[in-house]
Amino acid sequence: MATHLEKLSTPGRKDIPVEAGEEFGILDRVLRFLGLAGAIIPTAAVLFIAAVLLVSALPSILFNGLGFLYHQSWNFGNFYSSATVTHNGIQAPTGASYGALPIIIGTLLTSIIAFVIGVPIAVGSALILVEKVPPPLRRTLSFFLELLAGIPSVVYGLWGLIVLGPFLAGHIYPILARLGAIIPWLGPPVGSGLGLLTAGLILAVMIIPIVASTTRDLLSQVPVLPREGAVALGLTSWESVRLVSLPWVFSGIVGASILGWGRALGETMAVLIVSGNGANFLPQNIYSPVSTIAATIVALLDSAESDPTGLAVSALAEAGLILMLITLATNILARLMVRRVSSTSLPIGRGV
Amino acid sequence: MVKVTETMNLLSTEWEIERLPFPRPDDKTVDRRNGSHRTPPPIESQNYLNTQQAMLDQGVSKVQLTDLRVRFGEREILHGINARFIDQRITALIGPTGCGKTTLLRTLNRLNELVPGFHVEGRVELDGMDIYRDVRDVRDVRRRIGMLFQRPNPFPQSIEENIAIGLRAHHIVPRGEVHDEVERQLTEVGLWEAVKDKLSESPFGLSGGQQQLLCLARTLAVRPEVILLDEPTSSLDPVSTQRVEDLLVALKSRVSIVMVTHNVQQAARISDYIVFLYEGRVVEANTATEIFVNARNKVTEDFLTGRMG
Repeated sequence: MATHLEKLSTPGRKDIPVEAGEEFGILDRVLRFLGLAGAIIPTAAVLFIAAVLLVSALPSILFNGLGFLYHQSWNFGNFYSSATVTHNGIQAPTGASYGALPIIIGTLLTSIIAFVIGVPIAVGSALILVEKVPPPLRRTLSFFLELLAGIPSVVYGLWGLIVLGPFLAGHIYPILARLGAIIPWLGPPVGSGLGLLTAGLILAVMIIPIVASTTRDLLSQVPVLPREGAVALGLTSWESVRLVSLPWVFSGIVGASILGWGRALGETMAVLIVSGNGANFLPQNIYSPVSTIAATIVALLDSAESDPTGLAVSALAEAGLILMLITLATNILARLMVRRVSSTSLPIGRGV
Repeated sequence: MVKVTETMNLLSTEWEIERLPFPRPDDKTVDRRNGSHRTPPPIESQNYLNTQQAMLDQGVSKVQLTDLRVRFGEREILHGINARFIDQRITALIGPTGCGKTTLLRTLNRLNELVPGFHVEGRVELDGMDIYRDVRDVRDVRRRIGMLFQRPNPFPQSIEENIAIGLRAHHIVPRGEVHDEVERQLTEVGLWEAVKDKLSESPFGLSGGQQQLLCLARTLAVRPEVILLDEPTSSLDPVSTQRVEDLLVALKSRVSIVMVTHNVQQAARISDYIVFLYEGRVVEANTATEIFVNARNKVTEDFLTGRMG
């Protein structure tokens, strides 16, 4: 301990007493340890989960090969027959075949719909909240916005099943279907209202509060000086938002959108309820029943556990691994995008 | 006990001020309050009128303020300003911190309207047109009255865009000529050589002085008739300051410049006229020479010699 303190004091000035040095040293160490642990745990958790998923998925990867990515049927085979097939050294129940293409497509399409509809609405509502709404009303509206984020997803799902789905199928989709003449995948049949578009819409509502509240916080922190510069130049408030505020927080908005996108990818209950559960075929139009990776894992896990060979669980783990890879890939993509944009416009490097 | 009485007196005086109408230069109440550190200084009517006359004689008035009062919520910052800013001249607004210089400046291009509670009375005329009443499009007022801020505030766009934005928004040149015009503006402020190879890069990589020159170029690009400067060199090094000052002097030939500065030397170096503000009132306004050589008011003299402020 003494040597540690000596290092801190300047040579030749050892006469300066360091009071309560003992406590300082211990606290310092504890804090450093906590900091280190805090820094390591998230990384370690991600790596651990990835490793466990990979190990669990290994039998399925060996059994299915690349076919897992492009086959369209998901079949556990006959659990009750004692006959098994063996492929690449992996045992499987007779008739087992796993193709995850429909659920991969379903995951991507529902999330894309949610993203395309949700992010503009979220950014727009954040802009209006910050730029145009007077402060008292802003607080009230923000409260409701955040309340939206607090609704449990299963409640969204129930509402989608009972209210939104039937309403859309009865009143909105038939009108939309007339556009089918121009845009093929908008055409009929519209089905029961449980399917791709309904799931996408529910997901959009779910990601709006995340993206909007983050964007609102970012926008309210844009420094006043450049914005006044825009106004003083005679630009309209819209121009000042578009040319100053939005570019200023662009990377933050991308980050918030990716949070929303991640939520849409991984959302389980609501999608399971309103997606129509179409895990074994590709969607025919925008109203088709679909399923997503997360929803399929939940829906099938129970029966998968009765597979005596264990391959069914392994296949679900592989699906989970793919979901994780999709999330990872979009995160990396977003980072690259932010880096490209920041280098030209954001205040990085020398300031004033 | 003595202290309490003093405070009470002060309070009651303040109360009186609030109630009084805009004090004219010859207002007796102004004299009565002389001596107290917190009260506005006396304004000798004859001197005041003389200086106004002096400013009138020497040029065309570009911006004219008549009985301008500004308050934010309940708090009145400017208590009736009468002043004129002459075309093709530099007028420096000086005065101690909190005297209302910046508020006055930001009232001239209606920038204070962004601040909640802002309220203005009196007239602010640009070429005889009241910019608060006679104007349909405030954006055009802000184009005609440009502003350079305390610290550089480039937009988060490329260097070229920083200038092109204003050119396009106000249709200064046809679209096809925007690029050439950007080059012309950057050349005019002496920045072209330094940035010609990085027009598409961020302005935040430039030095503070270069950023301020870019902001000046951005302001000049939309052809302003008046330029407002809010301590434009306070964050710059001496060399950049020198450059900005030289530019301002050169710009006089085509614009009227109103400059807030804390730097009395700067005011002496480049301004033609000086308006000395104290506690929201104009104490003295005259040519720079006259103010520095022959300040007629003791408060002005105290400020200029560093005994106050």
